Amino acid sequence: MNKSDIKLIFILLIVSTLTIGIMKLKSSEGTKEAKVYYQNDLLLTIPLNQNFNKTYTVNGENGDVVIEVENDKIRVVEEISPLHLCSKQGWIKETYESIVCLPNKIIIKIEASNELDAVVE
Amino acid sequence: MELQKNARLSLLLAFAVVLNIIENSIPLFGGHIPGLKLGLANSIILFVLYIYSFKDAMYISILRVFLVAILRTGVFSQAFFFSLMGALLSGGAMFLTKKFTKLSIVGVSIVGSIFHSIGQVLMAIIILNNNMIYYLPWLLIFSIPTGIIVGIISKELVNYFKNDLQNFEN
Repeated sequence: MNKSDIKLIFILLIVSTLTIGIMKLKSSEGTKEAKVYYQNDLLLTIPLNQNFNKTYTVNGENGDVVIEVENDKIRVVEEISPLHLCSKQGWIKETYESIVCLPNKIIIKIEASNELDAVVE
Repeated sequence: MELQKNARLSLLLAFAVVLNIIENSIPLFGGHIPGLKLGLANSIILFVLYIYSFKDAMYISILRVFLVAILRTGVFSQAFFFSLMGALLSGGAMFLTKKFTKLSIVGVSIVGSIFHSIGQVLMAIIILNNNMIYYLPWLLIFSIPTGIIVGIISKELVNYFKNDLQNFEN
């Protein structure tokens, strides 16, 4: 390692911590909803409110994908895939986060729920 | 000495494939950060880049992606395109940093690791139509330790074999 390596490491640390900080700040504090997609089709829209616990089962490419909602966070509990990456990922709750189940072609995104959008739909 | 070089390169390719498969079956941090891995196969690519040439490194890198895809997920699966994009971008970036900057092999390894992550996130945006860019800063932070480890391994490999190869070929 030489001096320019150390410089590179410092720049990387600063850039990434700054962007993570900005993302945390920008994540909206209002009501959120989780959207579950199979390929590009919207399967479910789940409101992420307080005091709301429920499990959902959707049909993925390899079979059932069990999704659990608890208060304001969401996770994949069970799915059929070689590495179980998306159930290992655990809970997500910020608007910029998502869970991708590549073998099952299931994507869960969290978005800020918007009253106007609901009217348009 | 073309035959000898080809034999060496195919041996290195086999190493890269095996390293890739081993590290795919050992998720770091219990798999809580999807996509995070050490990138040990990259030490082979770096070694070829330093000992042989950019062209040879890209051959090994792309063949490795094909072979791992055939063995694990099938060619032209989504996972295949993810690793192909990562391999192309990181190979190109490592070549350019080696050529145009003063970074040592450790820095070049970190740059390769960063561009591998960028390639995967780009592919996620293209294929999955999912804005995974939020994930990039986390991958950037983790590319520092993994890049350093892989860089040090490649440095030792290059130092160890440099004299050896020269003795053989003269």
